[in-house]
Amino acid sequence: MSSGGTGGFRGSGGRQGGRAGAQGGRGGANKEQGKRYFFRRRKVCKFCSDKIDYIDYKDVKTLSGFVPERGKILPRRMFGTCAEHQRKLTLAIKRARNIALLPFAAE
Amino acid sequence: MSDRVYEILFIADPNLGEPEVDSLAAQLQAYVEKEGGRIQRVEKWGKKRLAYVVHKHREGHYVLLVTEGPSSMVHEVERRIRVTDGVVKFITVRVDEDLSKAERRKARRAASEARNPRPTQRREKTEEGVQA
Repeated sequence: MSSGGTGGFRGSGGRQGGRAGAQGGRGGANKEQGKRYFFRRRKVCKFCSDKIDYIDYKDVKTLSGFVPERGKILPRRMFGTCAEHQRKLTLAIKRARNIALLPFAAE
Repeated sequence: MSDRVYEILFIADPNLGEPEVDSLAAQLQAYVEKEGGRIQRVEKWGKKRLAYVVHKHREGHYVLLVTEGPSSMVHEVERRIRVTDGVVKFITVRVDEDLSKAERRKARRAASEARNPRPTQRREKTEEGVQA
């Protein structure tokens, strides 16, 4: 495996010839890990993919998709929103709460 | 100082009838215009259930006023809304900056799409990787 692997690496990234061998070994290990991740669905920011630039506090339908029954704002790892959109989402949810469109807490 | 766009969203008492809500909205519009503002849009959402109890009300008439005016207008209009009967809750949000930012973004995206239309990206699984 090692000879074939390093050969392949040298062929593709031959410019840094000296380090190619060492990287070849590590590359193989990463590949094994990468394989496991490959089948996990990657979360993508919904607002980025839908190209929503302005998250409207009046749009309860969209916001309620990001608020669980209890009414909490969840960390962004739950929905995979990007940092920028999470900030905007948080602000929109807070505004919506203020005007009784969304609950502060479950009743 | 240039004028800004504000959304005034308020909840009217659910016990008011339809015409009374209209006259209440007209009253607030008069406040705005008196302070040198203009009404861009009025939206009536009708009677909606509130997410929580406000002054013992479970429902309310939502009315949205999109206005344009100086910041002093907001100050005065909010003061007047507070002493107006029939308004259960209200919120004023300045939207012009965020909306124009979103608009610019959209334009930039459209421009870059036009320059180089995105090919359908596919994750390439290299032959090399399989062999190694």
